Amino acid sequence: MFAVEMNNVSVYIGDRQILKEVTLRIPYNTVFVIMGPSGSGKTTLLRVINRLIDLVEGARVEGFVKVLNFDALRSDPYELRKYIGMVFQVPNPFPHLTIYENVAVAAKINGVAKSKRELDEVVKWALEKTMLWDEVKDRLYDHPHQLSGGQRQRLCLARALAMKPRLLLLDEPTANIDPVNARKLEEAIVSLKDEVTVVMVTHYPHQAARVADYVAVLYDGRVVEQGPAQQLFLRPSTEIAQKLLRGEI
Amino acid sequence: MYSWRKLREKLFTCLIIALSVLAIAPVLHIILTVFANGFAVIAKAGTSFFTDLPPTPLSKEVGGIAPSIAGTLLMTAISLPIAVTLGLFAAILTAELPSNPLSLAVDAIAKSLASIPTIAVSMIVYTLVVVPMKSFSALAGAVALAVIALPYTYTYFSTALRSVPSVYREAAFAIAMSRWGAVVRVLIPVARKALTTGVLMTVARVMGETAALLFTAGRFRTGVSFSPTAPADAIPLLIFDYILSPYAVWHQVAWGATALLLLAYLMVFLATKLIVKEVRL
Repeated sequence: MFAVEMNNVSVYIGDRQILKEVTLRIPYNTVFVIMGPSGSGKTTLLRVINRLIDLVEGARVEGFVKVLNFDALRSDPYELRKYIGMVFQVPNPFPHLTIYENVAVAAKINGVAKSKRELDEVVKWALEKTMLWDEVKDRLYDHPHQLSGGQRQRLCLARALAMKPRLLLLDEPTANIDPVNARKLEEAIVSLKDEVTVVMVTHYPHQAARVADYVAVLYDGRVVEQGPAQQLFLRPSTEIAQKLLRGEI
Repeated sequence: MYSWRKLREKLFTCLIIALSVLAIAPVLHIILTVFANGFAVIAKAGTSFFTDLPPTPLSKEVGGIAPSIAGTLLMTAISLPIAVTLGLFAAILTAELPSNPLSLAVDAIAKSLASIPTIAVSMIVYTLVVVPMKSFSALAGAVALAVIALPYTYTYFSTALRSVPSVYREAAFAIAMSRWGAVVRVLIPVARKALTTGVLMTVARVMGETAALLFTAGRFRTGVSFSPTAPADAIPLLIFDYILSPYAVWHQVAWGATALLLLAYLMVFLATKLIVKEVRL
């Protein structure tokens, strides 16, 4: 059983083909890392999973995508997204909401918490999971612009977790934050895999080595190699994967 | 080398200040002239300027502009919700579904509405509303004002919604918000300052509009009416008529009315500045 199955998935934006017949299997309750150089289609691949690709003008997806037993390309995207959290490359907490509200809104919309007490518990749980609770517990009603970049990114992770998702998509979540916050985020990600399947895009081989159970290497829209992380890091079978691990591409 | 750079910096700063003063000076001159002349009239008339009827041409008393104040308030109150509601929905449609044929049509119509002369709008509303009703009315005036205000609200709101960074929209969808939910819970609150400014600019546009009311409102100055179906007056209409007249007392009333209109603008601007806080991204 897989959380995500992709068969021959191709994505076109206008005339340009971004993903080329991608086939992937992402097992449940693992951290699955997608690596690849800039422009290889990593973000597009994530956006196919939660159908955010629909927001891209002129985008067309072909193939078969099964996500948590949903036929993802033919399901109602709003229904599908209830089970999928996402953290973006740039921290994007809602600027008009307080820290508390940013987390609570995701729980409220998805019916995770009904009473105020339940909501308080979910918010605390999500902030604890992201190691943010101790830092913000006395200023839950401040706005996110008062947080550091790394704290904002962890707030976004807390917001995604408050949905109680079964699948979590992370699009280079540490790309714009400092090493200390990046490490906290990584620890949070590893601790989550008992509860949720994590699909993470990253540029950094070292980060992938620290958190990944499985890795797929994407190059020019194609999956050139995929498998257990240890195997891929110790014995990469393709030249592209070897170059990527050496930081040459 | 270094001191020349500093000197250039100073020269540039001085130039910017001088140009800014030059740009602001005419506006300040207009405001001060209007206030100096207008408040002298209002002070002379006292509270009766707000409650009395306008004077007869040869009157020694300044009288008041109560019918015009009532008409302006009434027509603004009717036209603003129409223009704001339609403008907001049109802006949401075109911001959310930019390639939809309906959005393209709405955008084209809104832009072409802006280019129709306001006097032409007044004539069109005359034939569509005044003639069937067999009377000038505040309603006809308000419809004309709403038609004129609509492209403004649409443009302001559309710009405001499009200025919200797409990352917030994506974040909203990513937590399973519906399209409508994302608009109501995220886009509108994030853009609230720009949207409120749009409403404010529309109030200013509506309150100051003259030509749209020439064939619609009816210049009713012999009593105070708050009935939408009865003829009405408006402050800019009164200013337009009185300043063109040969009577000194009407000129005085026009100055007072202009000062009042300007004061109303400034107060609304100030209130918005103080009340609505910018969302810090």
